[in-house]
Amino acid sequence: MHARTLTLLTLALLGTAHAAPKKVTGYGSLGVVGGKSGGTYTLPLGDSPQSLFYYGAIDNNLGLVSQQLFDGLVEFNLSTYKIEPALAESWTISPDGKTYTFKLRQGVKWSDGQAFNADDVIFTYRNMIMNPESRAGDPGNFKLGGQDITISKVDAMTVRFNLPRPAPAFLLQQRYFIMPQHKLAKYGQESGAKPGDINSAWPTNVAETEVVGTGPFKLSNYAAGQKVTLARNTNYWKVDAAGKQLPYLDKLEFLIIRDPQAQVAQFLAGNLDQLNITGAQFPDLKQKEVAGAPFKVNRSTALFGSPPFVAYNFDAKNAALAKVFSDVRFRRAMQSAVNRERIIDTVYNGLASLPGHGVAPANKAFYANTTRQLGSFSLQGANDALDAMGLKKRNAAGIRLLPNGQPLELDLTYGTDSAVYPPIATILQSDFAKVGVKVNLKGILSSRLLATGQSGDWEMILHAFGDQPDPELRRPIWQPGGSLYYWHRAPQPAKDGDPANTAKMAPWEKEIYDIFNKAAVEPNAATRKALYTRWQLLFAQNLPVTPIAKPENIGAVSNKYGNYVYNLGVIPGYNPVPLIYQK
Amino acid sequence: MLTYTVRRLLGMIPTLLLISVVCFAVIQLQPGSFLDQYREDPRVTPEALQAMTRQLGLDQPVWMQYLNWIKGIVLHGDFGYSFANSRPVSSLIWERLGWTVFLAVLTLLVSWVVAVPLGIYTALHRHRKRSAALNFLGYLSLATPDFLVALLLIALVLAMGGTNVGGLFSPDMIDAPWSVARVLDLLAHLWIPMIAIGLEGVAGLMRQMRASMLDVLTQDFIRTARAKGATGQRVLWGHAVRNAVNPLISLAGLSLPSLISGTIIASIVLNLPTIGPYLYDALLNKDQFVAMTLLMFSALLLLIGNLLSDLALAWADPRVRFE
Repeated sequence: MHARTLTLLTLALLGTAHAAPKKVTGYGSLGVVGGKSGGTYTLPLGDSPQSLFYYGAIDNNLGLVSQQLFDGLVEFNLSTYKIEPALAESWTISPDGKTYTFKLRQGVKWSDGQAFNADDVIFTYRNMIMNPESRAGDPGNFKLGGQDITISKVDAMTVRFNLPRPAPAFLLQQRYFIMPQHKLAKYGQESGAKPGDINSAWPTNVAETEVVGTGPFKLSNYAAGQKVTLARNTNYWKVDAAGKQLPYLDKLEFLIIRDPQAQVAQFLAGNLDQLNITGAQFPDLKQKEVAGAPFKVNRSTALFGSPPFVAYNFDAKNAALAKVFSDVRFRRAMQSAVNRERIIDTVYNGLASLPGHGVAPANKAFYANTTRQLGSFSLQGANDALDAMGLKKRNAAGIRLLPNGQPLELDLTYGTDSAVYPPIATILQSDFAKVGVKVNLKGILSSRLLATGQSGDWEMILHAFGDQPDPELRRPIWQPGGSLYYWHRAPQPAKDGDPANTAKMAPWEKEIYDIFNKAAVEPNAATRKALYTRWQLLFAQNLPVTPIAKPENIGAVSNKYGNYVYNLGVIPGYNPVPLIYQK
Repeated sequence: MLTYTVRRLLGMIPTLLLISVVCFAVIQLQPGSFLDQYREDPRVTPEALQAMTRQLGLDQPVWMQYLNWIKGIVLHGDFGYSFANSRPVSSLIWERLGWTVFLAVLTLLVSWVVAVPLGIYTALHRHRKRSAALNFLGYLSLATPDFLVALLLIALVLAMGGTNVGGLFSPDMIDAPWSVARVLDLLAHLWIPMIAIGLEGVAGLMRQMRASMLDVLTQDFIRTARAKGATGQRVLWGHAVRNAVNPLISLAGLSLPSLISGTIIASIVLNLPTIGPYLYDALLNKDQFVAMTLLMFSALLLLIGNLLSDLALAWADPRVRFE
């Protein structure tokens, strides 16, 4: 980052600011207009929140509610995904990239009227975010090369982080929700509580008035197992382009509906105002929209979301298979037998596009166009390539034989409780059979895919990881030797945190490994981009995993509301709800 | 009678202990751990997982976890913590118990009130066309899973332009104070679960009652009663039904545990705030103390239900006496 530009920006902001609400403007391209106040907006929640304390449980439903109750120091621009000021009004980064100073927004009040200040920030970072005992904290990101990042208070409205080494993704990570010290002090280690005590703050039967935040809404009622009701936070620190106080809505409700079909039924009945759906549900709802139903189904190519891939186990238990899987010629040959067009057409109803390699095509900051490396679907090409790598012999059933005479037969592990994995698995199975590779389907629960992947007990797997704006945030997945780089476990260190075993890496893996290490500390944005571009090319050529498609995001919203912007779910710092208004 | 009851109650303790061991063992045999669901989350580091393992006591040997749990119950009445909710299990269950009991009792009542007369009717007029039709309906509803009926009803309501699809209240009535409007709203929602969940019970009970009636009607004492000159009504209600209903009383005791686990899928589909789905989640995620407590509760209800139906049977049937 350019420290000087930021300093100038800071000075400019300081010149104008005292009690400065943030003006939310510039989203014309997303169709955002000035709204009117009032109204209730009802969203689904997949299950009861496990707690009302964001850092006390890793829980998507709690995250969805918390997102409306709390803010972080910085947040995303809704259309460019660039980092913008939130509770921090401005910040400076020292030229060596090791000191981050955040100037907090003046005049921000908690929903109970208390003033927000640096003590809240320090309290939250020390007791929750950096606390290894806090369930949903993130202490791992506050250790760089074995040394701690420290936080200190400069004055009542300024906090400073000191890093042991530069970390360009650090700023992006500071979207952690800040919690009120005046309500949670007794759980803090400053008052003698044990580090793990913080997890028991704000259980689901807490008094509503205890849950205090800086977000657009405040907790108004929780009917166990049925509904969470939030009311407008009149102290919220954002205004619209015309200077009108946000949020527009009076009330935000979450109906707890566990079954996706029941959610659709409630949406059709008009009891839910917005619903995110899958490509499989799209035709039915779109038909109803065209027939005059009072809602719109929107498609958007958002950055977030999980593109599925197939991976082959380089360390498969069957040594002959492992040898074939480790051969890039095999992975490239099999890529020619992956019919992406058909999968996009039939599985996603056309609501997906060709994937990137580790970076979403919508990511303007980092995406390198690797479409050419995806090749095109050609069974002939796949057959020829497999023949050329010496797998020419076949048995009576037409299955290719491995060098040791065994048939080339493998298990494909996939998630059965998903709308997309089973049909993709079937398409792969039938096309692979046509090139003499026998695939046996092995269905498990989607929630067990990662654990199975990491256990090493699989041959071919169909899985997905979410995309993030900065590749550094996905380093454990894509850097060889990372804890989630499970298709080649040999380079993983014996103990977490130790350097990876580079001797076990292929040359291209070693190069990717070095790229991630360099980019993690490289302060120059252009150099980082060049490094990650090289990585994407290496990825596309060597296919550690074979990406299949990037699904579009589809949301249906009632016609009663304006300013709808697609919102994947829990992405701290990406919250378009304050802009929504009832027409 | 009293000593009998006390003896039965005391006998429950070893039974429950045995059941708890079996349940705990089965839960432990399930592969994976409660923490598995977090491994994919980019926020969760291996250190955080270790810290959580320690906090939850999952680093202790299995038998130790079990003994600690039992100790908590015996010494403090503490049924353990829910891993997911960081709250005592008992308060979590308590929160959901009200609606669960309400729905269970209501469906039980509805199915008895509908099923017993239908069973009697079809037994008395077993060669009539109307009985045949009722029997056919009985077979049909017995064969249709409750959640499917629920889905069909939801589709029907939607097609008719209705909005009461699932849940017990409209969204704005969920947290409203009790009022006439709220009761009406509840009734407008209640009929779907009543039909969906109750229908299965109706069919089963009706078949049972019919079989039992047919059995009784051919007995000698019915002929004797008729021969003595008792009126048709007196023979039917005082002799036949009184005897035919006994097997149903034993059956009623067995239906108590369905309070918890009987309607899991229908509850999910109909979005009812009952305990069933909660047990389902706890089992799936290995939230072991929630699962254990609910399973034990279910076992206890079964034992108590059996005892109650035995006592009720003794009261209803002079031939059965415990001394």
